[in-house]
Order: sequence, then structure tokens, then C-alpha cells
Amino acid sequence: MTVITRPAPPPVVEEAAEGAVGKRKSRHDALLQVTGQALYGVDMKAPGMLWAKAVRSPYPHARIVRIDPTRALSIPGVACVITARDIPHNRYGFTHQDQRVLADDRVRYVGEAVAVVAAETLRVATEAAKEVVVEYEPLPAVFDPIEAMQPGAPQVHEGGNIAARLHIRDGDVERGFSEAEIIVEEEFRTPFVEHCHLEPHAALAIPGPQGTLTIYSSVQRPFLVASDVAKVLSMPLSHVRVVATSVGGGFGGKNEMTLEPWVGLLALRTGRPVKMVFTREEEFQATTVRHPYRMRYRTGVRRDGTLVARSVEIISDCGAYVSWGASTLAKACIHAAGPYVIPHVKIEGFLVYTNNPVGGAMRGFGVPQVGFAYECHTDSVAAAVGMDPITFRLRNGLRDGCRLPTGQVLERVTLHQTLQRALELAGWERGAVP
Amino acid sequence: MKKRGRGVAWMFYPIGFTAYANPSAAFVKVNQDGSAVVWTGATDVGQGSTTALAQIAADALGIPVELVTMVTSDTLQTPMDIGSVASRVTYIAGNAIVRACEMAKQILFEVASEELGIGPEGLESRNGWIFVRDFPERRVRLAEIARKAEVVKGRPVIGAGSYNPPTTFLDPETGHGKPYNTYVYAAQVAEVEVDTETGEVKVLRIAAVHDCGRAINPLLVEGQIEGGVAMGLGYALSEEMVLQEGRVLNTKLADYLVPTSLDVPPIDVEIVEVPDPTGPFGAKGIGEPSLLPTAPAIVNAIYDAVGVRIRELPATPERILMALREKEKEQPGRSVRDREDGRPEK
Repeated sequence: MTVITRPAPPPVVEEAAEGAVGKRKSRHDALLQVTGQALYGVDMKAPGMLWAKAVRSPYPHARIVRIDPTRALSIPGVACVITARDIPHNRYGFTHQDQRVLADDRVRYVGEAVAVVAAETLRVATEAAKEVVVEYEPLPAVFDPIEAMQPGAPQVHEGGNIAARLHIRDGDVERGFSEAEIIVEEEFRTPFVEHCHLEPHAALAIPGPQGTLTIYSSVQRPFLVASDVAKVLSMPLSHVRVVATSVGGGFGGKNEMTLEPWVGLLALRTGRPVKMVFTREEEFQATTVRHPYRMRYRTGVRRDGTLVARSVEIISDCGAYVSWGASTLAKACIHAAGPYVIPHVKIEGFLVYTNNPVGGAMRGFGVPQVGFAYECHTDSVAAAVGMDPITFRLRNGLRDGCRLPTGQVLERVTLHQTLQRALELAGWERGAVP
Repeated sequence: MKKRGRGVAWMFYPIGFTAYANPSAAFVKVNQDGSAVVWTGATDVGQGSTTALAQIAADALGIPVELVTMVTSDTLQTPMDIGSVASRVTYIAGNAIVRACEMAKQILFEVASEELGIGPEGLESRNGWIFVRDFPERRVRLAEIARKAEVVKGRPVIGAGSYNPPTTFLDPETGHGKPYNTYVYAAQVAEVEVDTETGEVKVLRIAAVHDCGRAINPLLVEGQIEGGVAMGLGYALSEEMVLQEGRVLNTKLADYLVPTSLDVPPIDVEIVEVPDPTGPFGAKGIGEPSLLPTAPAIVNAIYDAVGVRIRELPATPERILMALREKEKEQPGRSVRDREDGRPEK
């Protein structure tokens, strides 16, 4: 069901308010939502529908010796089991084609899927998933990105654990530090965070005539999912239709293909619709999370409170696959120096593979991590020169025509305006804004 | 003892992908009765983007928003949009829809120009009427023109448009480039109360002032800001996946603490509107930026309250208590009330 929304009740044109932009209009789909007619991914169903359940790795790093679905297939009600061998092109990824639709030679994180079962009911599928025999040979694993960067660390992929490196330089940072009168150095850390969209990943695949496939999915990027599904299943793109249902939150967690190729392939194999919904446990363990960052900030400042130099080193725990890790690191690096005029800047970012859950896109895309660091660091630098955090910001904050370390010149910069209004709203009496 | 403090934080954030092409395309048709259908690939993920896009289409065509039907996000039935990501939908899908509507409007104006005796360039449309810009009383119903275009002139009123923000990739040596076409800005102020006995932080109030360009729908913008602050509150104080050898130990919402409505403090929201000429009706975006300043504003407020700098998120009671004890050890005899920066106690 393609999402079609129109407001209700129908209007009397003569009485309609002039112009819609800038108006506090209620949601276009309000009536569908409040009457329960809006269909989310978890609501989707079709006659003769099967349910799918994934078989997931209990090991953070292991070689797959053998997968035997015989016992699962003998359970009444089980229709099909797929493994890596059934995936025609078992690689995908945006910047790095390192991800598997189903694990082939190795599993690289706890919860990585190795097989998917389709059965008449969710209960049978869940029971049958436990009966798929997977023999593993555990391998040494690494969970700390600093350790993973050391020589001799367990290798998550061939070619080393540093998945990506990025640097941005502006001015001459060494000269900048030599001109500084005070240098402040701090290290910040942020945790693994899950999106916690209330609606989990959910999809329904329906096989159509002539080998076509329609997949209804609770997803933020249906066009990317369609092209990735077509690629991994070696199907013409014209045979794959992806429809985004009403989506119960995403926050970046539904930015990429997850369960769609599984239900798609199972639907093609069985000739029946196949539905799948992740559990909350799967959301935490097996879908993408916000990358934990370790960030070292070093800032040179003059006694009068003028910023002269800043160096930032970011180490991002990528988890087992890159997903959006390189792109988030780029966005983090570009913004890591903060919204300040700093003539000499050096930013370095490392994306490091570990056997932790896969980091992906999440609201803010690397910037909440550096934003926490640069704004707390700003207060520390202000304190070091004995300045009020607000006066310090007003002195160094970006204004119209200022440039970022990337060289990009900014226009219509409203930092000072927004700060002034926020202080007024908060009733901040200390020091009127100049 | 309970101590209060306040902290500020800024944020700046771009709209759209980093350098990579991230286009959106749209189709529109105006029906004989003056209603319209818009096809967009953009997905509403709860933020209300379909509503904002309908408002943009309504004003771009000059019809009431109640007459706009939106068909969204179907790879067979709608033109492409790269996704509801990167705070880009209002700006990029909005621009695509404006362009599609301009094409449809050109057909309407060409047909209307015969009736109104002036070239299409002298016409405007608003609220279901097409009128002469300099003599607005000379007007004709848009529905009448749409019907005439289709039935008499044989020119169905349709339009297509696309938009992709102009960007450049970063130079691999220097990291220089122009990876984004526009930015938004914000400041937030947090007021907290820290219990020095338990390390617990209560956020009393957040003031959030955001520039999103022109706010297409202030109600939805405020909703985004409030939701972002709630997410930032979780990032600051409670949300943390606990891992043991790659296994997540807290995989339930019972032991992974997302703020609930009872945890979210009063939020004073204000929108600073500085329209961007490159955006649809001056709009930019608000989705991700709303969350960014909250965590640092809260952590800076904790420092203001008790003089300890928390450098690892989340700022749990345990971390705050440990920092307070560390501080006590370093400065025996000084209580937590003494300021590290020498400023007088409030």
C-alpha cells in the first residue's frame, strides 16, 4: 500500500486561509493516523503469508565450519531455509563493499545472521531457527579500537583494522601552538547508542508475476534498498519494487537494507508472501548503532581569549563492518573544530574495525560525538583563560563570511542571534550579550 | 546537597549529504477541479515531512493545502528521492516539488493569459485564483483554467522537477572543499540540579533556539526540536549500551534507559527564521540539528553546578560521584562548592 495522504475534511475553497507556508497545519495524514488506517511495516499482511526468523551468531568472531538446516527443514510448517550459498551476490556497502547479506566464511559480531528460516507461523520459524545446526570455530576477537590498531591484533577483515582515515588541515597548526600562551588538552569518550525507534525493522515481501518482487518495508531509503536488493539477488532493478510503509521512527537506523533481501529471496523461493519483524533484542544486538568515539582535543589560546590553534584526533569504533562509518567520520571531522574562528587547525580521524556491533547512521551522523566534545572543551578553554563561557563564545564564534577548516565560507550565520535569544529565554542575568 | 547550574552549547550543521549527489525528484498534476496530486520519493518517518512538502506544493501552485494529495515513497510509483536522511527532505525534496509546480503553473498561466489579456509572466496564483500581479482584482479561478487547459486546449496540467544541492568533494590532501550547500545553527541553554550525595542530575529546563531558515510548519519544527532535546537528554545522562566481549547486556528498553515523557523537562522552544534564498520558500532543515546542543549544554551545566568536568557520556550518577570524589582528593579541604575557575559561588 503506497502511502497516500490527503487532508480531511474537504475544504470550502473560498474560506481557505491564504497560503500554507509558515502555518501551523496539522499533519496531512492526521486522520489516517488517529483512525488506525495508517499502515506501518509491522501492520502489513497478505494471504498465505509465511514468517521469517534469522539464525544469528553467538560468537563475536568465528569461522563457520558447517551449516546444516536438515533438522529445521524436517519440522512441520517450515517452508525454506536460506544461507550465504543462496545469495547470488553476497556483498554490499556504501563506501566499502564489506558487508554480507548472510555470513559466509566467518561471523564478525555477535548477532550476525548466518541463515534465515521461513515457516507458517512466527512460533514455528522461531523454533526452527534454533534447530539450524551451525558449527563454529571461534577466532580471537578484538573489542577495543585502540587495541585493534596495534600490530598483531586479531584481524576483523583482510587488509588491516583501519577501515578509513581522514584528515583536514588548515593553516599551520604547529606555528599556531607556538603562538599560543595557554594550551588545553582533553580527552572525551562517547558510548554505543541504539536508535530505539519504537517500530522495529519490519518488512513484507510479495512475489509477483514473471519473477517480480514487491517489498513493503519500514525504511527511510526505499530507493537505496531497491537497488541493493536487486544487486545482491542479481535481479533487474525493474523487477524489484520497494514501498516505504508508514514508518514508526528511524533516526538513521532504517537507512539501509537489512531484512529486505531475506524476505525477498524467501518469497521468490516459496512463491508466498514472507513477513519479518525484528525483536527489540535484535535491534540492539544486530542492527546498526551510534559509533562510540574517543576524541583528543588540544587547543592553543592567547591570554586575551583568542583561539589560535586546535588539533583533534578522533578514533571511531566501526564495529564489524563499515556501513556508514566512513561517511559519519567525514562529517565528524568536518565539524570537529566547532563553530569557531581558529586560524590553525588539524583534524585526524580513524575508523577502526572491531568485533563489536556495527556502527551506522544515527541522527547527527558523527556530529553529536564531536559536538559534545567541542562544546565541553570550549568551556574548559574559557575557564583556563578565566573567561565566562558566553563571552568566550561571542568572541570566537563564527560570523557571516567566516570559513571552516574545509575552506567553506559561511553565510547567514545565526550563532550569536540564537545564543542571545536562548539566554533571554533562560533568564540568564549574568552579563548582557554584547 | 543539591546544587544548581547552567550551561550553554552551540551547534552548526549542514543540510544534505557530505559531497555526494543526493537528489530528489517530483511529479505534479493539477486536476480539472483545481486539486493537485504530488508524487515524491521522500519518506515520512514520523517527522511530518509529507505535511511540510504538501504546504510547499500548495503555495508553489497557489491552491489551498487541503486540495493537495501526496503520494510518497514507492520505487515503482514515485520519482526517486535519496532518502529521509541528512536533514535534507524539506530543503531538497521541497525544492524539487517547487520546480515541478513551476512547470505545471507555466501551463496554467499560458492558458489563463488569454482570458486575462496579459502574458504569463504578469500572472500570479494564490488560494485557488490566478490573477494579474499588478491588478489582483482581475482574476480567474485556477480550477476553471485547469479544466480549460485539459478539456479545451488539450494540455493536461502536469509538471516534473528535480533538485540536487551543488557541492564539491574534499581534497584528499588538505580536506578542503565545499561539501554542503547550506547550514543551520542553534543554541541551547540547560539548567540542572545535581545531587552531590547521589550524583544524580535533574534537568530542570532547556531553552532551545534554532535557525531552520523559513519554518514551513512551525508546529512540526517545534515537534522536531522537542524530540531532539529528549534524544539529547538520553545521550547526556542515561543511554549507553553495555557490552561484554561484543555482546550487548542491556537489550531491553527496561534496562537501556531512553527518556520517557516524565523525564523530559520543560523546553522553551524558539525559531529564528532567516530565510535561505536557495531553499523552498527560504526553508532549510531541522531534523538532526535539534539534538546536537543538548548533551554538551547539560554537561556544561553540571560543571557550573558542582565544578566537575564529565568527559565521558553518559554523565551517570556513578561518573559524577567518582569525579566529585576525585576532586575532593585533589583538593582536600575544598568542598565541591568552590569553583575550579575561581569565579565566586552563586
